[in-house]
Amino acid sequence: MKKRFNPIKDKSSEIISCLMASPDMPDDEALRFKLQLSIEEVVENVVRYAYDGGIGWLEVSTNLDHDTLVLTVELRDAGVPFNPLEQPEPDITLNAENRDVGGLGILICKKMMDSLNYRYENGNNVLTMTKMIWK
Amino acid sequence: MEVIINKQDGKTLVALKGRIDTTNADQFQQELTPLMEGENPDIDIDCAEMTYTSSQGLRTFLLLQKSVSTKGGKMVLRNMNPMVKEVFDITGFSNIITIL
Repeated sequence: MKKRFNPIKDKSSEIISCLMASPDMPDDEALRFKLQLSIEEVVENVVRYAYDGGIGWLEVSTNLDHDTLVLTVELRDAGVPFNPLEQPEPDITLNAENRDVGGLGILICKKMMDSLNYRYENGNNVLTMTKMIWK
Repeated sequence: MEVIINKQDGKTLVALKGRIDTTNADQFQQELTPLMEGENPDIDIDCAEMTYTSSQGLRTFLLLQKSVSTKGGKMVLRNMNPMVKEVFDITGFSNIITIL
């Protein structure tokens, strides 16, 4: 499944729903929960921050390798170059008073998915997440 | 998403229902803001019917916990479903918020 959204301003819900409705997505409730959380975090990042004022496109795709059962979700945009993996991780050992409220989204993705990769290619941010789907 | 707040014997009883996600995270924060006011907070949140929270929802829980801690009050979250609990676990929130 591949779909390009343009413009993307205020379209987070639509983009997330489109990905979750992909035929490549599993039926298992717990797996869908983890995938949706991760997808929501990365889609929100692009919609809110990739383009100044939110005018721009986002192409999303899913692919399921039926031999390895590895699901790949890819996001591609032409916004400001941004590698979410280079952002500092929140220190989860701090107490409530000292915890910062930021950086949680990418942490959730890293923990919920099997892999999370970023590359900058031909002027595009390309974020790829994989998850093995047990049937 | 629904937030039900009741006061009883000096306690604030809260019931959360449904999903806290990108469509309603701002509304969720607004609805919990009254809990950050007042002295000696004693807040008991029933999460039995909360089915999902994104990082934006977590931020509101953290802000609330910070407010409660600063005022020397207490807050507990109860009856969280295992999938939602995992989100609190992997982000370290289980260590800074009391989950029963």
